[in-house]
Amino acid sequence: MEKLLLRIFRALLPFIRSKEIDREKLLVIVETKLMMDNRRVNMSWRSSQQKENANHMQRVLILYAIFGALMGAMLFVVDQFFTVMLIMHTYVLFMMAMTLITDFSSVLLDTTDNQIILPKPVNAKTVFTARMVHIFIYLFQFTITISAGIWVATFIKFGILTGITVIITTFMAVLLAVFVTYFLYLAMLRFTSEQKIKEIITWFQILMTVIFTVGYQLFPRLINFTNLNEEVTLHWYSYLLPPVWMSLTAEAVNNLQFDSIHLLMILLTIAVPLFSFWVLNKYLAPGFTRKLAALQNNNSNSKQKALHSGRSKTTFAQSLAGIFARSNYENAAFQLTWNITSRDRNFKMQFYPAIAYVGVMFFVFVLRGGSSISENWNELPATSNFLWLIYMPLFLTSSAYSLISYNEHYNASWIYHSAPLSSPGALIMGGLKALLLKFFLPVFLLLFGLAFWVWGTPIIDDFLFGFFNNIFILFVLASLSQHILPFSMQPNTKQQAGKVAKALLQFFVIGILVGLHYLLIQRAMYLYIIAPVLIISIFFLYRFISNISWIKISV
Amino acid sequence: MAVISMEGVSKQYDGNYVLTDISLSIEPGQIIGYIGPNGAGKSTTIKILTGILGDFEGRVEVMGKDVKADAIAVKQKIGYIPENAALYEVLTPIEYLHFAGRLYGMLPDTIERKSNDLLRLFELNDKRDQRMNSFSKGMRQKVLLISGLIHNPEIIFLDEPLSGLDANAVILVKEILSQLKKAGKTIFYSSHIMDVVEKLSDRIIIIDKGRIIADGTFESLKTSASGSLENIFTSLTGNSEHTTTAGEFIEILNN
Repeated sequence: MEKLLLRIFRALLPFIRSKEIDREKLLVIVETKLMMDNRRVNMSWRSSQQKENANHMQRVLILYAIFGALMGAMLFVVDQFFTVMLIMHTYVLFMMAMTLITDFSSVLLDTTDNQIILPKPVNAKTVFTARMVHIFIYLFQFTITISAGIWVATFIKFGILTGITVIITTFMAVLLAVFVTYFLYLAMLRFTSEQKIKEIITWFQILMTVIFTVGYQLFPRLINFTNLNEEVTLHWYSYLLPPVWMSLTAEAVNNLQFDSIHLLMILLTIAVPLFSFWVLNKYLAPGFTRKLAALQNNNSNSKQKALHSGRSKTTFAQSLAGIFARSNYENAAFQLTWNITSRDRNFKMQFYPAIAYVGVMFFVFVLRGGSSISENWNELPATSNFLWLIYMPLFLTSSAYSLISYNEHYNASWIYHSAPLSSPGALIMGGLKALLLKFFLPVFLLLFGLAFWVWGTPIIDDFLFGFFNNIFILFVLASLSQHILPFSMQPNTKQQAGKVAKALLQFFVIGILVGLHYLLIQRAMYLYIIAPVLIISIFFLYRFISNISWIKISV
Repeated sequence: MAVISMEGVSKQYDGNYVLTDISLSIEPGQIIGYIGPNGAGKSTTIKILTGILGDFEGRVEVMGKDVKADAIAVKQKIGYIPENAALYEVLTPIEYLHFAGRLYGMLPDTIERKSNDLLRLFELNDKRDQRMNSFSKGMRQKVLLISGLIHNPEIIFLDEPLSGLDANAVILVKEILSQLKKAGKTIFYSSHIMDVVEKLSDRIIIIDKGRIIADGTFESLKTSASGSLENIFTSLTGNSEHTTTAGEFIEILNN
């Protein structure tokens, strides 16, 4: 699609008549930017296994198109015209705003242009126009892929007039999304540092990843399609929401209903986005570029401030490491793992969806069976489904354990090799302990609280046994898997041979140990007989992992 | 006739002056060594001279053109290699050089020919079609050097150009700079590596806290302190307590 849009742009180029714009250079910049867009890894779809040369943009657009088609299919399921339009417009507005914030932020906030293009003989007007054209082409691609399914479905079900109206209202939603994004960024640039903005964007990206990863599992369970066929009640404040204006505009055209409310909504649908775009073009965009340039110049000062604050304070991680780490090496790896898992964006992007999956697993495995969620919830105390709750934290911690092996700054692991360390296993154990305290324990206690509320005291024995069984399984997994020091492996590294056999062995171990618990469920006597065996085994595994030698470490 | 002239140039950020009343005039065909401690104002001076920063007090002319009024004409005649190797890393070297060359108005065939030849000289010809995000710092620096020189500029501004280069590349770049000078080009060279500045420069300008504190040939600067340029630099910038600081450092290590 990018090539087609570029061809259209080339054809339109002679119509740009301003003498201040260098058309040849404008084309060069736009071509290069689009080429880079294709190679940029979309943050919401990022995975550790993505290939460098893959066409990321195309992959994202295909996925968006599939989502759009699914949304379009809703038009045939939901009878209420206004309700379905409200869902469509909210979806488009949300998707565009989120895409702009999470993905396009790297383009909007990119100060590399200032360093690369500014020293070249290109005037500001050409650079500004190139930026606008680039943004326009980007938005156009996403608007079409996100909305195509909806448009086609509208044309089929409601005819040409409504179809055209929905195309117009969709573009108006996109204009509003652009305005809101710019406005948000400007507000952030005004009140906070570049570092903070990047952190905020990271959180949006994590949210987007979570929504995409777990959304398709959760939403069908949460949406009650019978409710969607009932009429939506509008309150006075509903009219403040742009999707309501747009949906009522579509309704006005579809039902040929032009009363004062509908006319006002049509006016708002057209006037507000156009006016906001004019404000954006006239006032926000130039200010945005200026702010970015200023941000770049003031960057070194803010970095210094960040370094000075927080000096010589004992952190929470240090205190915990002091209590739970047995050696200096364990202590060092504990703190490193604790800190990096809090700060590294890639880790968070891959791990937080795993946390969200715990919620999904709750719906899929714990609240399974009956016809409705409330019915399942009421029947829960009669089931043994708390077993899922006991072992959910294992899923979380083992994913974190596999993730901490990889890091973009894997080169920094030279420090392990230069340290006078005979058993690097202590570093692996330090990392494991940090994960146990940071991710396993809080989630385990939370789920225990939930189980206690539902099932009462009878589950205490099982949770106690499960606590040790979880740690035992985790240690077995750590002993069986490749021994990789924390954050020492390059992402996308090809896995070593025999990985499948090892993974199968791990599944087998988990199956046996969780299966054993299932057989002994609520048989306290047996649990208390086996628990000491588990504790002794944990102790031996602890020693085994801590004593792993350099020969067994994967590099 | 001077190819670079600055008259009473000052620049402030948020009320703090980073350059104060800088005036200098540079003749063609010289290598100017521009040195100073961190935060002295070196990069700001270069950004003003290259037309990147237009918001300053005073008057600057490069190749007879007013930098404020005619920045594009100035940029067309100069080459700039910035300190931090900012490149579009998802591009390959050849794609990036085409991008840079076309922004200087060069023809695609000329860019292709020159790029291939220059990449071969820097031993990057087998990497021409690989994306630069896997490149080492030295390899990126080589691409950056080529991109700043490909259009054969009259004046070349270099900010730490040897950073990250291997020994052979350092020798090659130094030789290239000497030959560019012989060909009549003017080179404005900012660096922390004193011995290179000492050996290459016809004229050395030392800047500290936004003011020029010394300006002349290496021989003439020797009147203010004896020995190497390093000695002159430390005595002029007031950082002559390195021996004491090093002693304290060792003491802390021992405790």
